[in-house]
Amino acid sequence: MSISHLHETGTHSHELGFLRKYIFSEDHKVIGIQFLFSGLIFLFIGGALALLVRLQVAYPNGVPILSMWFPKSWGDKMSPEFYTMLFSMHASVMIFFVIIPLLTGSFGNFLIPLMIGAKDMAFPKLNMCSYWFMWPGFVVIVASFFVDGGGAGSGWTSYPTLASVMLGPGQGWNSPSSPHSGLGQVFWLIALIFVGISSMMGSINYVTTIINMRAPGMTLFRMPMTVWALFITAILQAMALPVLTVALIMQLLDKTINTTFFLPPGGLEFGNLHTAAGGGQPLLWQHVFWFYSHPAVYIMILPAMGMVSDVIATFSRKPLFGYRPMVYALAGIAGLGFIVWGHHMFQSGMDPRLGTGFMLATMMIALPSAIKVFNWLGTVWGGNVHYTTAMLNALAFVAMFVIGGLSGIFMAATPVDVYFHDTYFIVAHIHYVLFMSSVFGIFAGIYFWFPKMFGRLLNEPLGKVHFALTFVLANCTFFPMHIIGIGGHPRRYFDSTMYSTWSHFRELNQFMTISAILLGFAQFIFVFNFAWSLVRGKIAGRNPWHSNTLEWTAPSPPPHGNFEHVPIVRRGPYEYSVPDMAEDYLPQTAAHPAGVPQPVATH
Amino acid sequence: MQKLWSVFFGLVLTAIFALCAVSPWVGWWLPQNVSSYGGDVDALFYIILAITGVTFVITEVLLVWFMYQYAYNPQRKARYVEGNHRLELVWTVATAAVLLYVAFTQVNVWENIKYQGRMPEPSLTVQVTGRQWEWHIRYPTPLDVFDQPASLEKPMAWAEAPEIDDVRTSNELHTWVGAKVRIYLKTEDVIHSFGLPNLRLMQDALPGKTIPMWFKATAANTQWNEAAGRCEEPADASRRWEIACKELCGGGHYRMRGRLYVHPNEDDFRAWLTYRLKAQSSHEPEKTPSAAGTPVASNTKE
Repeated sequence: MSISHLHETGTHSHELGFLRKYIFSEDHKVIGIQFLFSGLIFLFIGGALALLVRLQVAYPNGVPILSMWFPKSWGDKMSPEFYTMLFSMHASVMIFFVIIPLLTGSFGNFLIPLMIGAKDMAFPKLNMCSYWFMWPGFVVIVASFFVDGGGAGSGWTSYPTLASVMLGPGQGWNSPSSPHSGLGQVFWLIALIFVGISSMMGSINYVTTIINMRAPGMTLFRMPMTVWALFITAILQAMALPVLTVALIMQLLDKTINTTFFLPPGGLEFGNLHTAAGGGQPLLWQHVFWFYSHPAVYIMILPAMGMVSDVIATFSRKPLFGYRPMVYALAGIAGLGFIVWGHHMFQSGMDPRLGTGFMLATMMIALPSAIKVFNWLGTVWGGNVHYTTAMLNALAFVAMFVIGGLSGIFMAATPVDVYFHDTYFIVAHIHYVLFMSSVFGIFAGIYFWFPKMFGRLLNEPLGKVHFALTFVLANCTFFPMHIIGIGGHPRRYFDSTMYSTWSHFRELNQFMTISAILLGFAQFIFVFNFAWSLVRGKIAGRNPWHSNTLEWTAPSPPPHGNFEHVPIVRRGPYEYSVPDMAEDYLPQTAAHPAGVPQPVATH
Repeated sequence: MQKLWSVFFGLVLTAIFALCAVSPWVGWWLPQNVSSYGGDVDALFYIILAITGVTFVITEVLLVWFMYQYAYNPQRKARYVEGNHRLELVWTVATAAVLLYVAFTQVNVWENIKYQGRMPEPSLTVQVTGRQWEWHIRYPTPLDVFDQPASLEKPMAWAEAPEIDDVRTSNELHTWVGAKVRIYLKTEDVIHSFGLPNLRLMQDALPGKTIPMWFKATAANTQWNEAAGRCEEPADASRRWEIACKELCGGGHYRMRGRLYVHPNEDDFRAWLTYRLKAQSSHEPEKTPSAAGTPVASNTKE
């Protein structure tokens, strides 16, 4: 199965109408760009929610300026229930509507066929559906802000019974546990089911495409790391998402037709209100939810790791250090990723002996992550490093992933987690992995492949200003979270200053909030650069970075069908600075210059 | 010019390191530990901090150094190196060894804190119930109602069925120095988490379950004042050890605050308990939580 079938050369001869070409398109590149724009729009919604969260944390006794617009019923403060909605929706939007669609939806769609030399995905119609199944999700999640009671407020993890309990048959959509656990939670569940189905469609497509549609000569071990990462991510998604979907549907049934998957046999008491007896178990949700959501963490980082590997190799002008160990490390992370979900549940009341087992697996998953970091360092070592904006973002990924990886070890240690669980330390950790790593990876990907997507280069000086500000301000925003976490500062607290244990962190909290606001504003540089470069950017040409992989042999942007001729792949993707050659790169398709010894063809 | 980027990275990473180094000296650090096993938890924290700190410094210094050393120079060509098998083997084995060390040094501490079979025989049994948004705490009277050293059957039965002469407090957990406290943790409504940062202890309360936990406090922060009928507040505010809910439980999650009062000795604690029992029996007894699971069709909340 190492060689793809030969597909026809040339493009479809008939012209497609606007609707078929740009809206209901079956072209993987258009779908990728659709995911890109949707994801970036939701990035700003999620970011705005984050800033509101931060404002409340820093100014618990009344948010400056914004307080003027709060409803009268709240008094001069934000309502604590509203605050629970803010952080719940911030995380839900960022994870399910920004990071996953950007990494797998956008880059997965755009890059896979181009990088393996296929003219499109294996199932173009399924691919189109995978994007359009996001739309009910988009509509429902945005609508959920405006329903009675407001958007979901039980955290992005939506633990029962807070999220799941309802009043009972015929008593409407209110929940006795929280106003935000009513219709808002139902909408949240429905939106996520759509997103999950969308991702499943995408993942089946990616796996099939990579297995069946590689260009002649593109053996598995000649695939760029980006494709490897997207391949392994797609397998993770295909295996984990059905489990999440099941969990979501179970909670939806609990909320709509009064099943009791998550309601304990004795029922619950809310003051004088007693719910009906159940027969379920709240802990079941946590197992099923984390069985998906832990692999989801890797879904949100592996594609970024792949892209960063390609960017670093290209701009170090060096072969990727340890290509095969890098692939095995990815596979190792993915494999172990399925047996570590319990580390989210050390304090949950599950048998502590299970915790010991999950701890051992969790410790070992740090190993492949460490191997990746060492190999990135090895790639930069001895290189001739071009500091383009893409490269700077990729190096920031490495520098920050080190922090995010190391901070995880504290919480993997079960006794230390007894103290650190649900403190700001975990908030710091997740943001070093998902913001400082994944988002820098996404920026690296955008700066790197923007010319292939749109035929024009992003403005480099603006890009560097954007990078420098983001790098400094993001560290100012997120690093002190480790410090207050060590102090034990709980996450998801509306007001921590009423506790004498944490009231001295107020100034540090305010510093983080101000940094976060500035960080938010700095992103408008990126927006401007993106918009301006779309129409006025420098024309890129086919291969502006002198990179080796197949997508750079296609025109920018590639036409429908991608390549003029089926590319014949002659070597691995990282033949940079081959000795005795004038050029410092050797594309995967290039015939080798005569008289020069053939470099190692397969890695 | 190109090399400036490595300086930029170096400065940001140095600032991060400096913040970590300065924090313990300005009070931004672990709160005081007052539990018997808290020292082991803190020791593990410092071991991991040392290992991760060294790893952080080594990898980031290498990164910044390589960024500086190998910045673009048109006169030079990059090395054509595809990897190094021996190097891969060395760093894989070394990392694995360190991780296994971290994994196995902690097992014992975890077992001591959480394994039910390892929990010491209690000198004080308490039952804590979380609800939106307070902690209901029950103490048995007389304290030696459970003829020790007997099996745990009686205390467990007591945890499930409240008795009329139980002393009840709200958000106040009392104990004395050296008492081995066994807590049976429950919740009436949603998941809560009984968090005591100064004891390095936390445990989620699960609807429908009763979960045992234990601790032994090693320092006192109060004394019973019989004349005034109250516990003395510690002079130093940092000795106001607090209980905090650590699992999101709705809008009032943040104000599910309790206090930990550690009396200097058992007699002092008993004096407080006796006083509370008297005060309690002179009033109408508080609402006894009805046996869980009785479905009552009512909708009278708020």
